[in-house]
Amino acid sequence: MNDTPRSRPARVLDWFDRRLPLTALWRTQLSEYPAPKNFNVWYVFGSLALLVLVLQLATGLFLAIHYQPNPHLAYWSVVRSIQRDSRWGWLIRDMHVVGASAFFVLVYLHMYRGILYGSYKKPRELLWLIGIFIYLALAAEAFLGYLLPWGQMSYWGSAVVTNFVTAVPVIGKPIAQWLRGSFVIGLPTLNRFFVFHVFLMPMLLLALVLVHLIALHQVGSNNPDGVEIHDNLNETGWPRDGIPFHPYYTVKDLFAVSVFFVVFFWFVFYRPDGWGFLLDRLNYTPADILHTPSDIHPLWFFLPFYAMLRGVPDKLYGILAFAGSFVLLACLPLLDRNPVRSIRYRSPLYKLDLLAMPLSFLWLGWIAHGFATEHNMVYGLHVTEIFYASFLVLPFFNRPRSRAATVAWLIATEAVVGSIDLWMYSIHAHGWDLMLLTDWIPALYLLLLFGLALLRPAWTHDAARLPGRLTAGGVFH
Amino acid sequence: MKMPLTSLRASRWLPLCALLLTAVAGAARASVQTTQPPLRPIRIDLQDQAALRTGALYTLHLCVACHGIQGARYSELPPLLGLGKATFLKTIGSNGRHYHDTITSNMSTSLMMDFTHMAPLDLTEIAARRSPAWLYTYLTSFYVDPSRPTGANNVAFYNVAMPDVFAGMQGLQQPVMVNGLRFGSPARIAVGVRPLTAGSMSHAQFDATARDIVTFLYAVAHPHQQERMRLGPWIIGLFVVLSVLTYLIYRLYWARVITGTQRWWRVE
Repeated sequence: MNDTPRSRPARVLDWFDRRLPLTALWRTQLSEYPAPKNFNVWYVFGSLALLVLVLQLATGLFLAIHYQPNPHLAYWSVVRSIQRDSRWGWLIRDMHVVGASAFFVLVYLHMYRGILYGSYKKPRELLWLIGIFIYLALAAEAFLGYLLPWGQMSYWGSAVVTNFVTAVPVIGKPIAQWLRGSFVIGLPTLNRFFVFHVFLMPMLLLALVLVHLIALHQVGSNNPDGVEIHDNLNETGWPRDGIPFHPYYTVKDLFAVSVFFVVFFWFVFYRPDGWGFLLDRLNYTPADILHTPSDIHPLWFFLPFYAMLRGVPDKLYGILAFAGSFVLLACLPLLDRNPVRSIRYRSPLYKLDLLAMPLSFLWLGWIAHGFATEHNMVYGLHVTEIFYASFLVLPFFNRPRSRAATVAWLIATEAVVGSIDLWMYSIHAHGWDLMLLTDWIPALYLLLLFGLALLRPAWTHDAARLPGRLTAGGVFH
Repeated sequence: MKMPLTSLRASRWLPLCALLLTAVAGAARASVQTTQPPLRPIRIDLQDQAALRTGALYTLHLCVACHGIQGARYSELPPLLGLGKATFLKTIGSNGRHYHDTITSNMSTSLMMDFTHMAPLDLTEIAARRSPAWLYTYLTSFYVDPSRPTGANNVAFYNVAMPDVFAGMQGLQQPVMVNGLRFGSPARIAVGVRPLTAGSMSHAQFDATARDIVTFLYAVAHPHQQERMRLGPWIIGLFVVLSVLTYLIYRLYWARVITGTQRWWRVE
């Protein structure tokens, strides 16, 4: 026992520490958790996403108190009971609406950070996979919550999505009825969506986020240089390139939180519907089962997947195309097995491919934002091909390739794209003229990528030397 | 220890990406083309209580005959219009409803289904969904169209089900047609109106009344607009100040780590 008299707060803390490892947790997870010293701006989105999760839970709690999960009452309980009759109800509802979109912005940026710096590579494959599950749970949570205001777009959007299942042969229709609890979206659907949205999915999300954090602290954070800081320890066993998470990154994250809230509250106060992107204009109209809108879309964060679905002229294959994009993301550790983690030290053509990935995703979103014209469907198909290609060509960059291998990759990938196009011609999916006008889009991308790899082999070479220690780098890259 | 910075410079791959972008930029997004008639510009002032009162009078006595404003309660209106409860009930009134009731339509839905084959939309949702300019154009641009069951059509809303209830005040109007597209096919599109007969009001008077109605509808559909504008700058300002303070704290802590442009762990 220590003989020196201890202060009262210290003794209270001792009392707790003997029963709950508070101090130990604080030390191992925050004040003595080594984080790499060179995190740039891309590294704030994870903690911001956690903040938005808490914000959604807090605002959602108050919304659930006043919400009525009944088709006759739901619309007016949102528009009148929550937004007008309850004090500050409008603010809480708008924070929840803007928060949902903010969550997706942050998660998309967080995922792209992982792709940029190879944070899915060994030993962080499971960390990445858990993250993909969080993204799926978040997508489900957003979809379930979107039905609750019982507006036109809520109703018909949910009708479209629950109809996806009917594409499964034989058992599709019974499963769709089981999911909806009815033949159409109705009271049973609204009840179960409400329970899943406020109870099941938030629990699942919290549990997954906790597992994500545990896995992160097991393997340690990656960094913009992709250098493993635990490979270089000083005499006391502390990583030479590490810095305690608290206070260094807690003060940095506090700054990020303040800047985030400036943008967040600008939207909440001045543009709560985000020009119709955060809250569809059609959702101001109550759901009408007899009146199908001429144009049904999901909210912005699902638009790219909607373009994939519409691009393929068959329901089942369309659903497989958009579900496949989640599989591609989950398979990233298998596709990209190059030992170099960070984009800083990867080849120029790999960088081009990593640029094509988000650009084709955004382009798909823009296409789905338009009407379901044949023009938009054909472009949707071809840009989906680029998006898929940007993932499937990753193994090409795993190691230096010979000229013959490059030619083989070019021929093989062009053949895949060409056969998809031939299939479209054979089933007369779209007009000849439109197909001929647009077939070159994915073909050109592959030709550009592999053609440049042939002409300038150096552009496929990763950096000759990798740093052994962290470098300074910039704020953004 | 000096580390050679082996990162490839961005300037070497950016032109490549620019090339790709320009190559695919030719593929612009097409949509179902419909010629959009121009909306009549309007300026509304939510502080103008005279306009709000005139708008409330017409809306509650004319529009509410068929439309509901179910988002709002009668009791919300006196503070908005700057009237006391007693004055409000004496001058504008609550259509015989309880003071705290929501503003529902005075007509039964089944009757409305007989008249126009649809229940009139709620004005709270229309005013929340449409811009003031659209509402103003809609209210002032009904025109005579013998092909319609009600004999009326509208510049802002093609083949509208609502009859021209303003004919008495505004007089009848005829359309100004141009050649255009409707869902991609050539069609005659109404882009404006010309007076046909005189009504009980002059055109300037009717336009002013329509503007007052739009002002009132917008205010009722956006009940927290003034609160947003009042609170917004304070909350956003608070976080701007916090951003500056937290940035200073961040620099203070990291000053031990960063010295000038050189980070100390690179120099050993």
